Amino acid sequence: MIDKQSIFGRVSKITFLSICLIVTIFPLYWIVITSLKAPGAIYELPLKYWPSEISFDNYIGLFTKSDFGRYMVNSLIVATVASTVATLISLLSAYVLARFQFAGRGAVMAAFLLTQMIPGFIALGPLYMMMSNFDLVDSKTGLILVYIAICIPFCTIMLRGFFENVPDALEEAAMIDGCSRLSALFRVLVPVMMPGIAASFIFNFVNCWNELFLSVTLMNSDENKTIPTALAGFISSFNIDWGSMSAAAVLTVVPTLAIFAFASKFIVQGLTAGAVKG
Amino acid sequence: MKSKLTTIAALGVAAVLALSGCGGGSGKDSADGTVTLKMVESLTNPTRTDTLKKLLAGFEKDNPNIKVDLISPPTDSADQKIQQMLQSGKGIDVVEARDITVGSFGANKWLYDMSADLDGWEGWDDLTENAVNYSKQDGKTYYIPYGFYGLSLFYRSDLVKDAGFDGPPASWKDLITQSEKLNDPGANKFGYAFRGGANANSNAVAIIEAYTADQVDKENAFLLSNGKTIFSAPEAQTAMDDYLELFKKGSPPSSVAWGYPEMVQGFSNGSTAFLLQDPEVIATIKESTSVKEDQWNVAPLLVGPAGKAIQPVASAGWGIAQSSEHKPEAVKLIKYLAQGEPATTFSKENSLVPILKSAATDPFYSTGPWAAYVTMTENPDTYISAVQPRGVAWWTEWIKKSDGELQRVLTGKMTTKELLTSWDTYWSEKLAG
Amino acid sequence: MAFDAQRTVTRSSETGSASPQPPKEYRHKKRFNARTAWTLAGFMAPAAIFVAIFTYYPMISGSQMAFRNWNLNDLSDTSWIGWGNFVTLFENPEFGTIVRNTVVWVVGSLVPQVVIGFALALFLKRKFRFRSGYQALIFFPWAVSGFLIGMLFRWMFNAEFGVVNDLLMKAGFIDTPIPWLAEPGFAMTAIIIANIWYGVTFFAIMILAALQSVSDEMYEAAAIDGAGKVRTLFSITLPAIAVTLGLTILLRIIWIFNFPDVIWAMTGGGPADQTHIITTYMIKITQEGDYGQASALGLIVVFTLMLFAVFYLMAMRPRKAKR
Repeated sequence: MIDKQSIFGRVSKITFLSICLIVTIFPLYWIVITSLKAPGAIYELPLKYWPSEISFDNYIGLFTKSDFGRYMVNSLIVATVASTVATLISLLSAYVLARFQFAGRGAVMAAFLLTQMIPGFIALGPLYMMMSNFDLVDSKTGLILVYIAICIPFCTIMLRGFFENVPDALEEAAMIDGCSRLSALFRVLVPVMMPGIAASFIFNFVNCWNELFLSVTLMNSDENKTIPTALAGFISSFNIDWGSMSAAAVLTVVPTLAIFAFASKFIVQGLTAGAVKG
Repeated sequence: MKSKLTTIAALGVAAVLALSGCGGGSGKDSADGTVTLKMVESLTNPTRTDTLKKLLAGFEKDNPNIKVDLISPPTDSADQKIQQMLQSGKGIDVVEARDITVGSFGANKWLYDMSADLDGWEGWDDLTENAVNYSKQDGKTYYIPYGFYGLSLFYRSDLVKDAGFDGPPASWKDLITQSEKLNDPGANKFGYAFRGGANANSNAVAIIEAYTADQVDKENAFLLSNGKTIFSAPEAQTAMDDYLELFKKGSPPSSVAWGYPEMVQGFSNGSTAFLLQDPEVIATIKESTSVKEDQWNVAPLLVGPAGKAIQPVASAGWGIAQSSEHKPEAVKLIKYLAQGEPATTFSKENSLVPILKSAATDPFYSTGPWAAYVTMTENPDTYISAVQPRGVAWWTEWIKKSDGELQRVLTGKMTTKELLTSWDTYWSEKLAG
Repeated sequence: MAFDAQRTVTRSSETGSASPQPPKEYRHKKRFNARTAWTLAGFMAPAAIFVAIFTYYPMISGSQMAFRNWNLNDLSDTSWIGWGNFVTLFENPEFGTIVRNTVVWVVGSLVPQVVIGFALALFLKRKFRFRSGYQALIFFPWAVSGFLIGMLFRWMFNAEFGVVNDLLMKAGFIDTPIPWLAEPGFAMTAIIIANIWYGVTFFAIMILAALQSVSDEMYEAAAIDGAGKVRTLFSITLPAIAVTLGLTILLRIIWIFNFPDVIWAMTGGGPADQTHIITTYMIKITQEGDYGQASALGLIVVFTLMLFAVFYLMAMRPRKAKR
């Protein structure tokens, strides 16, 4: 009886997990297949689930016809710098919000939460004018600054949860030893919270890496474009270049997938630490 | 140890920030007197951008003290971006203005009137009458066109022949008959590459104008000579009913959502036999691997029951931002692009109706797919040129409104009669002020 | 911002008081407090400055356009028109459809995301071979941008060359291809499928994290009591993660509400404006140049979500107290 049940449980578990995996992975598979078809073969019927002839034309075209290599480097710079700085800044603000009670604390939290509710489009026009006045249009620094600001609220909320799970005796002890509050924070608390910080960082990185609307608005020249803008560029006025787009998509997803493969345990661990307090 | 690491990390971040800072996009002039022009295009596509870059290189060679930075935003949001750049008044010198954007750009005083700079310019004599007219609208020169767009019918000569027809459709009725015959949804083969998505209104207006061609006011192709809108004519009702039939019986069902790219793809990947489009498409179809060169050709625009059609001319060109600090250099560039070799190269490589008179004697334009255009220019009484009110400030609003309503008709949520009433009311009210 | 540096009561402060510490002098403490306040203000400052300059300033500046006649196609008259833009919006016959679509979009995406995500998290909770590899693979959708997901599904749902129709036809479910993105009902289904695909992973991760923080002793106790799987789920697991789950759902609702990317890439709100949600409609009006109306719509979104969040949190409170 017990045996039967567990067999049933196992079967249903395996079935469910397999279906989830197939459904999740299939679009990735399909985009890879599309990217490996020769440009004309995309429109061949019946559809081929494995290209009769593997062609790297789409990939070669990306680097010869467009500056995709540079876009990737740009995205990497922008996303890395923005998410690093945003995580550091959020670490400080999250610490304050988690540890201390002060007038206006609720207001700060509410102000941060509110940013999540603002549809970005309301701010695009004024933001462009402001950046233009600062001479920060079409500049990586400008985009980085905006991305930092966008990452901070949620990152702070997330990190606050992690801080609340770490006893404050830790930094107290360090401060009695003569550390300043800042060095206590970084020497004692950060190492303990590393999984949580990593999770926040990855969250920021993925968001910056994928951001489209701001990048399209603020970047002009080929020199400064990031990947999402380049992707949108494959829709030209009379053609959607599915082949190039698929190839670009594959290349775009690879770095983030690599991070996940490397850090998926980290992410769950990190979130576990912060989850309960939410 | 840990704090050391933190310091290093912080330093690293600062260094990357400093390295990545490339300053703003203000195009500061270097000490040696070189001027950098920022040029922004709107109807971007990779082939065209290549051509443009080639031409700009030629310009830079002729003018060693001028550098041109070409900015190519994704075409989907390009005009919106151009609006923002013009409004902020920074980072934009030369701009691609379209007949549909020039009205609002001009009204907002974002464009520079080049009339004075081009007074006595030797290039005027080489431009076609159309090109001159479009350059001097309302006595102001906000842009010089680089070419014109006009509709003609792309068709699959092999399929038409196999189906037993003598030749391509000449009228909308013919198109309906042939499309219905060639439509075979089970085999993924369809007749007409219907435009139901973005800018769907343009082809709907084309059929309405063809049906009312006798009475259309040439100065404003949305009006009849009696001052009412074309949408109020009884012929317009027939036109829309025929148009709906063409969609239902001769076009792919998914074409409700087809915009420019999908239509062209539908033709170039071999799934549809007919396509009503700009000459611009010739270059794209030539690159197609699914449709061979001997399988397709171009026929003149479709006529209505009275045997006439209205050719809606559309244009786009280069203008100068009012805020530009390098207007003389910008004028130089615009002159360069509107003359001789560069102008010819641009219109040929992008398959545009040319702006230069000299093209009339160019064999390139009298053979192959271009022959249809020659036929149309040689028969101005059949293919009547009329000006659509594309420059009005409410044109974008009209496009969104009419596209939405047309899709509603196609999806059965509105009747053709309701649609025409709505369009008639809209234009009557707008034109009355 | 005034910092009075009063410590929050946490369980760690209890630990602190248990350790033998000499009682601090009043004066000493006060001086200490003032200094701390400056330090803390310094800690908060970067975040506050960034958010104020790059988020709040543009937003507030954008909001005032909601009350003006602000149309980029003609900026010669940008006078204040009070609630005019809001009235125009409410009078728009499409507004009802758009609101209904938004609700369908949020609920239709959210419920399957929660259910599938929850199931996935339950199965992933126990260790099995290849679990970390499986996790890495299943995280994949989260790595893809909304725009790309939209384009990817637009291609898969392509009527003539799309793989979805091909598979359905091979499986014998349909005889002729479905024009997925050309028929309002199908188009809505397609965009929601894409969004479900995108969001399940997020829920799975968050719920899995929450599940792993439930102590094993609770389960052991339940097992000793002879509770079955279903009862354990409802009497132990669900209450234990209720708060996390509630907050995750709230955040998710806000995000889905504000998430135009997938729809914009797949249908652009079409056909016939039948798949517009409020935020895609906002993009549409922005592209038409009417920034005044777009801002008005933006404000409507902000206030709706704020109200919703307040009520939602109030409704959650008793459950929190029960814990």
